[in-house]
Amino acid sequence: MIAPLRWSQLARQRPSPIVLVLGALVVTGVVVGLIRFASGIGAISNLSNSTSWGLWISLDLLCGVALGAGAFTMAAIVYILDLKEFRPILRPAILTGFLGYLMVITALLVDLGRPERIWHMLIYQNGHSVLLEVGLCVMLYTTVLALEFLPVLFERTTWQKPLRILHSITLPLVIAGVVLSTLHQSSLGSLYLIMPGTLHPLWYSPLLPVYFFLTAVAVGLAMVIFESWASARAFHRGLEIHLLGKLARAIPFVLGLYLVIRGTDLAASGELSLLVPRDVPAALFWLEVIVGVAVPIVLLSRRSVRESPKGLLVGALFVIAGLILNRFNVGLLAQSPVGGQGYLPSLGEFAISFGIISAGVLAFAFVATYFPLFEAESHGGARSSAPLPSAPPGQ
Amino acid sequence: MATTPLAFLLDVTRCIDCRACMVACSAENNVPMDDTRIWVSGSGVLGAFPHLQRATMPYHCMHCLEPACASACPVGAWTKRDDGPVVYDSARCIGCRYCMNACPFGVPHFDWNRGVLEQPLISKCSMCAHRLDLGEQPACVQTCLTDALRFGPRDEILAEAKRRIAARPDKYIPHVYGETENGGTSYLILSNVPFEDLGLPLVPQEPVNSASEKIMRGTIPFALGWAATLSAVAVGVRLRTRGRDQTGEGGAPSGTDPDPAELPMKDGSS
Amino acid sequence: MDERRVPPSRRDFLKLGGTSLGALAVGALLPAPVAQAARLHGQVNARGDGVVHTLCEMCVWRCGVLARVRDGRVVKLDGNPDHPHSRGKLCARGQSGLMTTYDRDRVLQPLIRVGPRGGGVFRKASWEEALDLTAQKMIEIRDRFGPQAMVFSSTHNLSQTQFENLLGAYGSPNYGTQRSLCFNSMVTAFQLTYGIEEPARNYDEVEYILLVGRNLAEAISTSETGALIQALDRGAKLVYLDPRFTKTAAKASEWIPIRPGTDSAFVLAMIQVIVSEHIGDCDFARQYIVGCDDLPGAMASYTPEWAETKTGVPAETIRRIAREFAAAKRHALAHPGWRTANFVNSFQTERALATLNAVVGNVFEENGCLSALDPEASGVTLGKPPQPPYPRVSAQRLDGVPWKYPLVPLKLGVFQELRDAILSGQPYPAHGWFISRQNPVLSLPDRRRTLEALGRLDFMVNVDVIVNDTAWFADVILPEASYLERYDPLAVVEGKVFLRQPVIEPQGEARSALWIYRELGQRLGLGDYFQYADEEDYLRQQLAPLGVHLEDLKQSGFVEPRPTHPRPDRLVFGTPSGKIEVYSETLAKAGFSPWPSWEEPPAPPAGQFYLLTGKVGQHTQFATQNNAYLNKYQDEPRLWMNRTVATDRGLQDGDWVTVTSPVGSVRTQLLATEAIRPDCVYLPPGFGHLSKALRTAYGVGASDSDLHVSFVDPISGGQALSQTFVSIERG
Repeated sequence: MIAPLRWSQLARQRPSPIVLVLGALVVTGVVVGLIRFASGIGAISNLSNSTSWGLWISLDLLCGVALGAGAFTMAAIVYILDLKEFRPILRPAILTGFLGYLMVITALLVDLGRPERIWHMLIYQNGHSVLLEVGLCVMLYTTVLALEFLPVLFERTTWQKPLRILHSITLPLVIAGVVLSTLHQSSLGSLYLIMPGTLHPLWYSPLLPVYFFLTAVAVGLAMVIFESWASARAFHRGLEIHLLGKLARAIPFVLGLYLVIRGTDLAASGELSLLVPRDVPAALFWLEVIVGVAVPIVLLSRRSVRESPKGLLVGALFVIAGLILNRFNVGLLAQSPVGGQGYLPSLGEFAISFGIISAGVLAFAFVATYFPLFEAESHGGARSSAPLPSAPPGQ
Repeated sequence: MATTPLAFLLDVTRCIDCRACMVACSAENNVPMDDTRIWVSGSGVLGAFPHLQRATMPYHCMHCLEPACASACPVGAWTKRDDGPVVYDSARCIGCRYCMNACPFGVPHFDWNRGVLEQPLISKCSMCAHRLDLGEQPACVQTCLTDALRFGPRDEILAEAKRRIAARPDKYIPHVYGETENGGTSYLILSNVPFEDLGLPLVPQEPVNSASEKIMRGTIPFALGWAATLSAVAVGVRLRTRGRDQTGEGGAPSGTDPDPAELPMKDGSS
Repeated sequence: MDERRVPPSRRDFLKLGGTSLGALAVGALLPAPVAQAARLHGQVNARGDGVVHTLCEMCVWRCGVLARVRDGRVVKLDGNPDHPHSRGKLCARGQSGLMTTYDRDRVLQPLIRVGPRGGGVFRKASWEEALDLTAQKMIEIRDRFGPQAMVFSSTHNLSQTQFENLLGAYGSPNYGTQRSLCFNSMVTAFQLTYGIEEPARNYDEVEYILLVGRNLAEAISTSETGALIQALDRGAKLVYLDPRFTKTAAKASEWIPIRPGTDSAFVLAMIQVIVSEHIGDCDFARQYIVGCDDLPGAMASYTPEWAETKTGVPAETIRRIAREFAAAKRHALAHPGWRTANFVNSFQTERALATLNAVVGNVFEENGCLSALDPEASGVTLGKPPQPPYPRVSAQRLDGVPWKYPLVPLKLGVFQELRDAILSGQPYPAHGWFISRQNPVLSLPDRRRTLEALGRLDFMVNVDVIVNDTAWFADVILPEASYLERYDPLAVVEGKVFLRQPVIEPQGEARSALWIYRELGQRLGLGDYFQYADEEDYLRQQLAPLGVHLEDLKQSGFVEPRPTHPRPDRLVFGTPSGKIEVYSETLAKAGFSPWPSWEEPPAPPAGQFYLLTGKVGQHTQFATQNNAYLNKYQDEPRLWMNRTVATDRGLQDGDWVTVTSPVGSVRTQLLATEAIRPDCVYLPPGFGHLSKALRTAYGVGASDSDLHVSFVDPISGGQALSQTFVSIERG
């Protein structure tokens, strides 16, 4: 029996301006999506034969998957390293990851030429293909995330058996999730190994999978910090500063390792001369490294920064911005495709991406409002739902 | 079906940009009007009046010996046949367009303007595989007015190309494009102008799929190893914690959840 | 857009009753709508799959075609390896032919005009009605104004003989072909000089080629284009004269961007160098050239230095090329050209080319680059149906031949003069015009005058496969079956007899020209001139002297009969003297210069340009722009202008400009390019269609027929297509 969600109250609430805007973006995205399905990708996008992967791949897929890395990182911290103190921030991370991956899959269903055939990857399998691995891992990991998230839904019910089953498989699920995540986070980088001619040497490397994995771990942690900060603001909750501070402490180590490996790689390949900032690729590189690596390392190495909410936020935002820059560079800006004319995403492409992101934010807010998201999980019993906030979210 | 690998030879000096090959291809393969599998690529008019030069060539799939598209496609829609052509199984394709990104020559293209019900697909030159099955040459080769396009077993075609260069070193760039590019292709090109002027990309000898093939081979071993490592860590951490508990080193007892009321909250928040 | 006809269901078939049971004998397989003949002779099986031998008609080169049929539909055209013009290949137009047959704008039923002429509104009619109406009108015109009041024009169809038969039987002298817009100057010059219309070219051993225009890489004659490239690949040198850097120029050893109208100066200077330095083939000259001794004197003033002032080409270059040409002797070839209606003085250019070849002695029976034999003269004589002699024609021809233009061959005529006569009503008015396979609204210069001339007519009837721009103004349109759907009279090429036969049954109610002319002839009371029961009967009569069965010909597509008259064993020229008449008594008697000579061409006033025309490899003049495949692969038609000149005038690539000539103006987009002389602009031919029934072609590009001024070379009757000067303004 599902506890009443007070739909009537929900219906009577006046949505806040933010919710209206997000809702409008979602509706726009849906309309554009319908046109895409009816008339083809070309009808609403600037994709072409020379640039066949554009905004949706760079933003929704590459960034989307990386930004959902907090789920496996936090799950590993809590369950593999058994650091239970981080439990309170585990569930939101799982939800962020789950919604993030649902958003990725939605974007893929728009981007794929034959979305109705997405299941082909289950029955036609080319073992040489990195994309197959990405596809299967994303499918499986989303399932894992769903299973990891289900307790949050079930705790609003009085069903005990499902909860017990789910809890009993938590550790194997988490291990599977970490393995799957490692595979596909790194494989998104491996996707680009087949483009040595078109990806600029400052980014192309046999170590692309390592780079993608390390930056995913770092941004996963940063996203947990950001999501906690945003939820605290939106839902008038406290911020678990000391937990987040500990996460933030790990970020410089991860990014530092990344920086050392990448720098050594560039030096060993004789490409250091490309670093001289005299052309656009070099400029993009420095922007990405300064924003996404150097500044966060400097900021988050300092205790004072890590102990202030604002400091944590700023540090996290730099990591996130740097990750987005990196994925856009690899996916789009540092690419010189054969016969390539310039590409700028169309309004339709933005509409789809922003619609999906808005839907994800709205879904997160909905779950955070009406489900025990910020509670540590219980082991059964009709646990009452968390007290509703006194004001509707967002105000 | 022959099993000798077959290849094209294009002599750019003989191409006059008449486009018979293009119409022949469209007719032979029922290519939709808004699509083409072969197109003129060229230098345009080079130089200043009156010292001018112009070269053109038909551009189509290179039918690589190590095709990146076949390696990249997640559902295995591309296959390299023994007799040369890289062919497409339209029943498998999911339209992910990874092949388009993988191809170092920018060949495959997509039906951008078809909705889902119109069944958009990827397309590219198929070396008229159905004609090869009948012992005929590809349509473009057969109709080429000036015999700029020739066709035959790859080793013979390559030998012919080298023979031509040797006979006229003043005329040709001393390189057969496609001999080594991407590990070798089945579209071999002789030219009197630099290949990049014709729109041909600079492609190294190492097949582009080398790195990703290596990675894919290591995937399963890596996954198993990583899972084992993580399991060992998880077990090890728990054993150590239990050990610490048993020696009474304090901390919250393992296996129980902390009371939510005890969780530190509102630390430093507004 | 799919034109596939659904084969009748089994039930429908049985409902028809009385149909041949033989077709049903194959059991469940139903007959596909392929040509009955092809099916009966095993070329196409019962399912409608197979290969049929026929001939292309996308241009006059008429390559042999192997038409592949599947499920009763033409799916692919391949070149016939046995045809000398295709040698197994087809150009872009040949390959696109099935889209002409399946063009969505095909006219498949007779149409009769409703509403004003040019309104484009027609109603469908039966053949009975359309033919009856046509015959009635033609009889009215003949009875009231005499047969000369009916003008007939057609261009080079395989059924031309029967068209001429209709014209002759009807009794009109007024025969319009478009040849004066094309190669009158070449044909007249070579007729007067060598006694043949056009010498055959042989590239097997050529070492040095001079092309004056003749853009073989774009004005494609499949086998000849291939042979040229083959020769160049072998190491032959090509000197190419053209104000534009065409695709042929890109293959030439030397491209000479010569001033328009001055080709003859270049060639005359070459002759001068060769004869004055005695580096030609003097033996050959003494034996075969009339006026050989006086030639140096006649050429004396045409020095390279003089030619430099005319052509803009350095004297040393001309001298060097002349010496190189002469050194190649019989392995040199100065191409006679094809479309040579460039300037009024083009006739002299052709005379000079004929002379240039002669002085190096490359005109030969065998082993020469040029043949004294007409390529059409094959030694094969075909039969024909019996017919009474034609009625005597007393009236003058409207086009001034021969009373105004004594040297123009009757078969060629002066088409632009014909149009002007219709317009002016002088020397007498024309009242009707029968047009078959021709588009004078786009081909004639000065389109405004052509349209006005159409307004003078009481009756206009067109035979065509689509409603082209001329048919748009017709009173009756009679739908001809496309070339893949019909029989035509036999074609003889290099001693081989080729058949055009239907690959599929004609769609709709389209019929062959042979049938149309016969039906019309009968209604005109001229049945005696059309004594064949149907197309196959006509062909059998053609084959009778050869002892060949039509059925065998259908299977193989061609036969090579023994020549009915042997080729001469020594070199004989068809001129009055039997020699090469470099000095032409015929010209002298008619009051023209007997020697090839220089005539100063006009030049554009300051600020204006020569308007050039040419050919594109993806189209055939004005006929093919509606073909979907060719439309797919064509370049967007734009006006070429030299880039530096454009920049000086503040014009950029892609700008819209207005092109104005003395007779009209058009608006088009600019292509700023290095590939053209600064004093020239070029408009690709064939666009600017008026007929809205051409849904693919309508509205694309501009037509130079709106701009061209009409000229007539008094000797050959040729138009001067490059003698129109235009001004260009932005906007």
